[in-house]
Amino acid sequence: MNENFEDELRRRLRAVDAPEGFAERLMAALPAERKSTVVAFVPKAAHPARHFGVPAALAASLLVAVFLGVRVANDREIEQQKGIAASQQLMQALRVTSQKLDLAYEAVNSPPTAGDEENRS
Amino acid sequence: MNARVVLTLVALLSAGPAWAQSKGQLRIPEFSALSEKASETVTVTLDANLLGMAARFLSNEDPEQAKAKKLVSSLTGIYVRHYTFDTDYAYPKGDIDGVRRQLNAPGWSRIVGAVSKKENTTVDVFVLIDGEKAQGLAIIASEPREFTIVNIVGNIDLEQLHDLEGNFGVPDLEIDTGKKPAPAKPPAPVKPPAPAKPN
Repeated sequence: MNENFEDELRRRLRAVDAPEGFAERLMAALPAERKSTVVAFVPKAAHPARHFGVPAALAASLLVAVFLGVRVANDREIEQQKGIAASQQLMQALRVTSQKLDLAYEAVNSPPTAGDEENRS
Repeated sequence: MNARVVLTLVALLSAGPAWAQSKGQLRIPEFSALSEKASETVTVTLDANLLGMAARFLSNEDPEQAKAKKLVSSLTGIYVRHYTFDTDYAYPKGDIDGVRRQLNAPGWSRIVGAVSKKENTTVDVFVLIDGEKAQGLAIIASEPREFTIVNIVGNIDLEQLHDLEGNFGVPDLEIDTGKKPAPAKPPAPVKPPAPAKPN
């Protein structure tokens, strides 16, 4: 029983040549041109940028100009404060100098007393 | 051996800015510890850049500032350290002597030196003469409760310093400016009094 079944299976599964004209018929049945399945992906966000790109660039330029202007103004103010502080220091330095020269003048011109010594060259 | 020489040269070159001071500029200690002890402190450090900046902010309208502006135009530095204390000799005399020693260098001349043992006051005025021009001025004044170091660097016009007299109280120290004094003006002719009109 089993042997018959196996023989029958072998017989049915044996390699059989394709019928005449099978390949031609199969090729004829295929569509002549396959359509491309590639889909171009265009992000939706790219479309608004086309409309708002120039104004955005202008706004950015304006922002940079304002930022630079504020910075230049700040730098000028800092420099002015430094200059005013330096001029005040200068006047103070000249006053201290004059006070000490005055002291030297007094010491040189005052009549010598016991215990004082003065020289001038 | 060669590497050692190269390293020494590199070290000397890199250390250049540390000792590259203007002629007439003294190495004044920072005295940072004294600022806390002092009851009054004046610290002025104005190099050529800051002097230029300061001069731009001085008014030509104010005679005091106008003269100061003219004076500092040829200067390259002004350095002042002035400390006042509540107690006698609260400052290290050694630091002042260190500055004083720098003035023994060639070129520096002491034009005024006054010591009052009674009041324990010492005032020395030094000038650095290069050629016929004063390139530096130093004042070292010490009193029991205060000391002052002034160092003015640059082409100092002693006549302009004279001009400050009456503005900052700079006295006439009879500093020789190297210029001949202008000839005295002849006295104006005295007009004879007009004859009295007869009544």
